[in-house]
Amino acid sequence: MSNVPPRLVTVWCPDWPTVAARVPADQAAAVFHANRVIARTPAAAAAGVRSGDRRRTAQSTCPELLVLDHEPDREAREFEPVIRAVAEMAPRLEVVEPGWLCLAARGPSRYFGGDRAMAERLVSIVRESTRDVPVGIGVADGRSASAIAARRAAFVETGVIVVPSGDSPRFVEPLPVTWLSELGEATPELVDLFLRLGLRTLGQLAALSPSDVVARFGNDGLHAHRVATGRDVRPSATTDPPPEWWVEHPFGEPVEQLATVVFIVKRLADDLVTRLAAEGRVCTRLVVILETEHGERNERAWYRDHGLSATAMVERARWQLEGWSAQPEGLSGGVALVRLIPDEVRSDDGVQPGLWGGRSQADHDAARAVVRLTGLAGEQAVRVPEWQGGRLPADRYRLVPAASVDLEDSNQRLDRGEGGWPGALPIPSPTVVFEQPVAIELLDEREQSVRVSGRGEISGSPALLVTGSNRQRVTAWAGPWPIEQRWWSTGRQRRLARFQIVTEQGIAHLVSVEQQRWSILATYS
Amino acid sequence: MEFGLAPVIPAQDRCLPVDEVFASMLPDPGLLRGRTIGCVGPAAMSLALALAARAVMAGSWLAAIGVPMLGVDAAIELGVLSSRLVIVDADGGPSVWADRVAAAADGFELIVTRPPGGAERIAGKIRTRLQARGVVMLVVGPTTPGVACDLEFTTTSVSWEGLGQGHGYLFGRRAVVRAGGRRQPRPVECELWLPGQNGHVELIEPVLGDVAPVIELSRAG
Repeated sequence: MSNVPPRLVTVWCPDWPTVAARVPADQAAAVFHANRVIARTPAAAAAGVRSGDRRRTAQSTCPELLVLDHEPDREAREFEPVIRAVAEMAPRLEVVEPGWLCLAARGPSRYFGGDRAMAERLVSIVRESTRDVPVGIGVADGRSASAIAARRAAFVETGVIVVPSGDSPRFVEPLPVTWLSELGEATPELVDLFLRLGLRTLGQLAALSPSDVVARFGNDGLHAHRVATGRDVRPSATTDPPPEWWVEHPFGEPVEQLATVVFIVKRLADDLVTRLAAEGRVCTRLVVILETEHGERNERAWYRDHGLSATAMVERARWQLEGWSAQPEGLSGGVALVRLIPDEVRSDDGVQPGLWGGRSQADHDAARAVVRLTGLAGEQAVRVPEWQGGRLPADRYRLVPAASVDLEDSNQRLDRGEGGWPGALPIPSPTVVFEQPVAIELLDEREQSVRVSGRGEISGSPALLVTGSNRQRVTAWAGPWPIEQRWWSTGRQRRLARFQIVTEQGIAHLVSVEQQRWSILATYS
Repeated sequence: MEFGLAPVIPAQDRCLPVDEVFASMLPDPGLLRGRTIGCVGPAAMSLALALAARAVMAGSWLAAIGVPMLGVDAAIELGVLSSRLVIVDADGGPSVWADRVAAAADGFELIVTRPPGGAERIAGKIRTRLQARGVVMLVVGPTTPGVACDLEFTTTSVSWEGLGQGHGYLFGRRAVVRAGGRRQPRPVECELWLPGQNGHVELIEPVLGDVAPVIELSRAG
């Protein structure tokens, strides 16, 4: 039967981003990406913080919550010892993302005498390699079944769940459909739709006929249906054979700077993705090979079900290179060769946006210019806004390096939330927001500094704005609008009052007073 | 057949779209590619973002070079999609600024920038590059733009509404905007809400000031 998916082992470290941030398990902390919780410590979970919560919700559930930023690079770096330890046992592994890797079960399981023995050995290997982190090992037919098994295994005592061969459909049947969004196989919106239609378990979804599912929900629905039936995400028979080519770049002069290698990888990845796209295909499994001038070699496979974009390829190559150079007996000289091999490709079935709302020539050109600018000016100088929310103009967006985000996938980055942010000033927003507030003096008619009491009372009406030697009359003003932030924490608490003022030149400013010091936060230019 | 001349492209196809409010003030149907447009005065940044908004919505990308203090929220309210906005630092003098503008010109169709002091000398080179690439550069300056501009938008009078003595909120700004410059046959003035309700730009008075009377030409046939 060619339809039985290969038997796979999934190694899953739950909430890896918090583990990578080295937060102790008894401290309530959560890692946020685009204003949503993506990982939390056991203590935070016990306090009721759930994955996918907005930051505000999470903080109101658990006021002492430590908020951490999502840093994929750090997570990859911390995961490196685990990858290396597992690779000693089974070299043909593929990394899906930091905290999650897959390997074929057949070889290792025969060597160690059965799936269970092999999985138990894997648990001890992973725990030894890095500070006794929680880990789950799932063995099942097919990628999604083994991924589900691993996630459930992380919460059982042995850390191992083995689904007998051929039992995958029965294993996934009683599970709720929310697993689909948990695994990233379907969007939360689609799962929500399933729930509202009364499809509560994967078994109920699987019972529908595939043609009905594709007619109603399109390709995404069909994909979810395949996962629900416990067959592989894409049956191996439908995976296109790997094309007989690769892209590589031999360096005439060995290169020691990471940035230079990454720059070349970006060009190779662009080339690869363009050539595949011309054939209507995407790469789902990429092998990156690096060689030094002394003949050392580092090879690793990276997997992503939705297909790897050029940015994703570069990110993974960078993780690999950083991991290799951090290794004690890693590379001893400059990099002499980079090769990218599309090991597994499949036809692009429209999971990536196509004609409507897809990439245009302008998007393509802009992405290229961003790469050039990053090469020219450095990562920190070329940034894009990422929504995070807040009451002060400078808090509402944070600028993240354009190289670190998928410019194609803007939805995640710019989820602005609905309605206004409670406590923020109404529209219009200031067009100039200072990174460092400009210190000023605000005086009343008697040329005394305006003071704001703890109860929000002011000592006099603002009449003069003094910036250095420049004095301007204030023609209109309103305020104070107080803000108290993090009053529960002595180190990070902040109290300030905001005012809007208009000067005689017709310029409006948003000014604030904090500990009797006045500053301009933003200007309505 | 081969001709020695470059194909003539109608002005309409060489333009980036612009909001109707500004379309009536411009000599072309939109922002003509390759033009440098100055925005000066107390409402300079709002003007630049409002001019760029329609084109960004239509698919162009906007690079903000050397304006790290750009308010992203305000940009969104004026209609700029923040997913097509990239912010580039350009500290380090005119040559750094010129390098980055030139690099951005290869991929972005719109650039908002504030040239550093001394940029006039290299402005000519940048201009050639922008014209070759068909990029519209919006130059923001407090009093004078740092480089020579084809068109210049200034505000002759501004007043904020909504704020009183100790009460209210900023609600909107009435601004008389004047479009002039060497590519503008005759200066045009309009009174706008910049921004008005919901943060958008709205027209209050279409044409003001010393503008030649418009003569309706009746079409034959």
